[in-house]
Amino acid sequence: MFVTQPARPGPRTAPGGRTRPWRWAVVALIDGLALWAALWLASTGAWLLLIILVAGAIGINVAFLSERAYPLRYLLPGLFFMFMMVVYPIVYTVYVAFTDYGTGHILTKAQAIRQFESRLYEPPGAPRFPFTAFQNDGGDLRFLIPWEDGRWILSEGDQFQPVDRDDPALIDADGDGVVDGLAGGYRALPTLGLMRHLHELQERVFHYDGVELRLASLTQFARLSPRYRYDPAADQLVDLETGTVYRPVNGYFTSEAGERLTPGFRSLVGWRNFTALLTNPRISGPFFRVFVWTFVWAFLSVASTFGLGFGLSLVLNDPRLPFRRVYRSLLILPYAFPAFISALIWRGLLNTEVGVINQVLRAVGLGGVPWLTDPLWAKVAVLLVNLWLGFPYMMLVTTGALQSIPDELYEAAYCDGATSWQQLRHITLPLLMVSVAPLLISSFAFNFNNFNVIYLVTQGRPPIPGAGTPAGATDILISYTYRLAFEGGSGTDYGLASAVAVVIFILIGTISYVNFRMTGVLERVGEHV
Amino acid sequence: MKRLAAALVLVALLALGACPALASTPGTLLIWADEVRSQVLLDLARTFEAEYGIPVRVQEMGFGDIRDTLNVAAPAGEGPDILVGAHDWLGQLVTNGLLEPIQLGEKADAFLPTALEAWTYDGVLYGLPYATEAIGLFYNKALVPRAPATFEEMIELARAAADRSQGIYGYALPIPDPYHTFPLMSAQGGYVFGPTPEGGLDPLDIGLNTEGAVAGVELFDRLIEEGVLPVLDFATMEGLFVSHRLAFMQTGPWELATVRNAGIDYGFIPIPPINGQPARPFVGVQGFMISSFSANKLLAQAFLNEYIATTETMLRLFELDPRPPAYLPALERIDDPDMEAVAQAAAVGIPMPAIPQMAAVWTAWSDALTLVANQELEPKAALDDAVAQIRATIEASLNR
Amino acid sequence: MYKGRLTAFGQLWRHGLLLVAVLFALGPILWVISASFNPSNTIVGQSLIPANPTLAHYRQLFQDPRHPFHLWIWNSTKVAVIASTLTVALTALGAYAFSRFRFRGRRGGLFTLILIQMFPQMLAMVAIYLLLLQLGEVFPALGLNTHAGLIMVYLGGALGVNTWLMKGYFDTIPRSLEESAMMDGATPFQAFVRIIMPLVRPILIVVFMLSLIGCYSEYVLARIILQTTDQYTLPVGMQLFISDQYSSRWGIFAAGALLGALPIVIIFLVMQRQLVSGLTSGAVKE
Repeated sequence: MFVTQPARPGPRTAPGGRTRPWRWAVVALIDGLALWAALWLASTGAWLLLIILVAGAIGINVAFLSERAYPLRYLLPGLFFMFMMVVYPIVYTVYVAFTDYGTGHILTKAQAIRQFESRLYEPPGAPRFPFTAFQNDGGDLRFLIPWEDGRWILSEGDQFQPVDRDDPALIDADGDGVVDGLAGGYRALPTLGLMRHLHELQERVFHYDGVELRLASLTQFARLSPRYRYDPAADQLVDLETGTVYRPVNGYFTSEAGERLTPGFRSLVGWRNFTALLTNPRISGPFFRVFVWTFVWAFLSVASTFGLGFGLSLVLNDPRLPFRRVYRSLLILPYAFPAFISALIWRGLLNTEVGVINQVLRAVGLGGVPWLTDPLWAKVAVLLVNLWLGFPYMMLVTTGALQSIPDELYEAAYCDGATSWQQLRHITLPLLMVSVAPLLISSFAFNFNNFNVIYLVTQGRPPIPGAGTPAGATDILISYTYRLAFEGGSGTDYGLASAVAVVIFILIGTISYVNFRMTGVLERVGEHV
Repeated sequence: MKRLAAALVLVALLALGACPALASTPGTLLIWADEVRSQVLLDLARTFEAEYGIPVRVQEMGFGDIRDTLNVAAPAGEGPDILVGAHDWLGQLVTNGLLEPIQLGEKADAFLPTALEAWTYDGVLYGLPYATEAIGLFYNKALVPRAPATFEEMIELARAAADRSQGIYGYALPIPDPYHTFPLMSAQGGYVFGPTPEGGLDPLDIGLNTEGAVAGVELFDRLIEEGVLPVLDFATMEGLFVSHRLAFMQTGPWELATVRNAGIDYGFIPIPPINGQPARPFVGVQGFMISSFSANKLLAQAFLNEYIATTETMLRLFELDPRPPAYLPALERIDDPDMEAVAQAAAVGIPMPAIPQMAAVWTAWSDALTLVANQELEPKAALDDAVAQIRATIEASLNR
Repeated sequence: MYKGRLTAFGQLWRHGLLLVAVLFALGPILWVISASFNPSNTIVGQSLIPANPTLAHYRQLFQDPRHPFHLWIWNSTKVAVIASTLTVALTALGAYAFSRFRFRGRRGGLFTLILIQMFPQMLAMVAIYLLLLQLGEVFPALGLNTHAGLIMVYLGGALGVNTWLMKGYFDTIPRSLEESAMMDGATPFQAFVRIIMPLVRPILIVVFMLSLIGCYSEYVLARIILQTTDQYTLPVGMQLFISDQYSSRWGIFAAGALLGALPIVIIFLVMQRQLVSGLTSGAVKE
């Protein structure tokens, strides 16, 4: 793999390989900027971005300072986005596969703790206190509450003080016995007038006589105090009402008696998701059947789309044929519709009772076909839909690749009296495969995981009688296993779903590697330089 | 030319501009609502803002997306203050710690008790209900002489109205659709989850293969075999009904607008009793919730109590989306036989289970119905299979 | 390969084959066209030529201020064109490196590029959401609910199969061309931009179209990143029309799907001339 001497001369390194002084200056400038940004990101705690920044900066340094890394200058822009938007999510998914992230364990532990600590407790039977709010021109607020013992209390800042009913600070301007103002230019606010202050008031704690008071609604104060306190040293949560102590166990704060607090939080669970996946009888049972169909589906999808797409592009590559551009434009149309829209349209067309396809079949004397209810026909139906969705891609790709085949080869073959078929067989296909074979392998992988088409057209159905598991006749590996993860016994299980993704990735990665080796694509990479 | 193109791309990139992401911020209310609700809420938001100077922003989302996105967005601090949804989301959202309890104060008495019950989870109220819904039976008056009083009479009328050679069908419900099929099963005692002594639901007491449930699916099977009940999906059923090709359509009030717009002379009644027993549909209750990650919990609460829980708002919501209000003063103002029928259906109905284990039920149940409809399995065997699958899934998750 | 004139039979079978393919490709689309003019708005009662054709569905599309359909088409077009242009640039750079330079990890790198794209991406959205969220806190212009953020996400998929496709084409361009340019004093980068890029135009167009269509109809990621209806791309917006499980809007949906496909069709028509190599053969091909 380590090629120091290329077979042929070529621009493998920069000409002369001299590092120009201005390059040093530019790199230094970039490094300076990166350093400044890094310090700033570190101070705001944006660690993820910091890592991306540092990685990007190192990449730039290596690419521009090392002549050995010259090719990296061309690759860097694409790699940067790939690492940020594709590789990082993969790493994240692998991490999630080792957690219990899912229904009941959505929050991080810190978020769960914050939520418990913000829960308030009102002693049972404690009274609530209606109040009057007053505001002065400066916007300051004060509250007047008739207290339990018949006295009145008035707030000053966050502190309530008892006040006499006939205190001169309380003003009753219209003499109706209701206080409508306070000394200092305070006027009573209508109930709804408090609306715009609620977001400030919700965080405020008022005190009177050793009691904590909080605003409970637009019209009431209540004796509310925190319900839980978290003790970071002991890593435990204390219920201040009952004194019960809760410790984190399996993603829940759990008491001695085994009582769990909701919500739970995300925690690392080791290999649990993977063992659950591999030992689950619901998976191992239908696994073989689903696996075989997944293969058949992916293979036939690639074969049919490539067959049709390549055939059409060959015919359309013939410059003698009139209306080529018209045909090409019309044939590309299926590709112009978003796939989820097309799949829904196809569902309508394939409808057994009123679908257009069956109407046409009946009109010409053939019976209707149970497209979506019969196991075999449902398979035909998803393949048909996928052919429709996929052949324009193959047509485009092969049209492009056909352009790269030198005409001289055909001329020579023609002079030697080769038939069109021989030309296709011995010139077109082999040369085409050089650039198209990797695409076919990747298309195979794509269809292996083509959740959308299966899900939108048949949802994996029809079900198989007596299967004992919810595997349907058109279920492929990913649609089946994701169903286990998203329709689990407790709702959604992202942890399990991530484990599924990782296992399927390993599977399809291995298959693809074998494919690459078998077709010799990787080996040919070296030849064509 | 190349340089020009590059410059254009650059300019376009810069012109993309920054539209700030929406998130709950102190002093501004953010509401997530689906298409229908957001129409009403946008108007309310304008009046509220004019009156109090508190901006209210309404973000329209797909109904199901509201729940799914909340799971990721709320903990990240990007969630709304208020969201609109259905009560059967409660299990998942409460278990995830995403909802704040709601206090209705004195207004609690103004709400339909069953609606409040539906929005109560583990003894705590998490939503301000605004509409109830339950499926019933639409009939086309041009094809059916009278409203049937019993299910058996309905079948006779359907048989008489059907004419397969003309493409006219008698009675339809979407297949496979457990939600629409449930009344047949519940009439004779079928249920999804049995009750616990504390008044919750027991995820291990699954009643989908009890005698009553099997009897319901046997009825379903017989109707299909006899050709009275065609195997159609929802879109087909609806299409047939609005093109005068279906006598009875079993579905809910969300279809009223479509049926009315199509100019069908229709009637809407609760599903008539089967064997003398009420056909009990699932009851769904729509409502407003407050996110536990809201920065404006008090404000959101006040907004709901003062602005949503009013006759005026409730009637506006009703106009755009005809389902019986859960707010009694508004319900009293509505004089609409269709709404009465929905309310009657809901009165005998069973609240849709809200516990998270419900996620494990739908597919297995719907597969069982498919197998019966395709005549591949007998009802008893299909339901036994389904329950075994559901139980295995739920037990596996409880043992963790 | 294409010598002499086509015989009548040769014409006939080719056109026959193409017509069958066109029928297959257009059948569902004709159905959509007819549904978009059909007043029935449901799946039943559709016929090839509707009895009382109406423009009501199209009018409805443009009349609802809460669903700015024209804006969605514009957003989609903008995002797709910018993302695809940049994708072509990134891919061409990468493919050039793989085609022209020998370096350690070259084969492994090529395989890795394609392997990485095989990861089932269904869960990536959570990670991408959190990433853009952080990014938005530092650079609001790149965060959630921005088109620039969405374009960056799409650029993540720029390398990959596209690189293979382009590299295969680059390999057929003889090195002698760049070498002679460099004799004249051009740097490799200048040779790449001035000599190679014009020669590989057909494959640039192919990659551009592939990427354009991919971005234009992508909705899984767009749905989670874009939050307000005025920022929506077309598929995310269309999603609103059908997300309600029990509601029928076939008419509007069909009309929207048709109008939505127009920009792609137009761009393709414009680009098609470039798709077939205009080079005089022999001059540049070995």
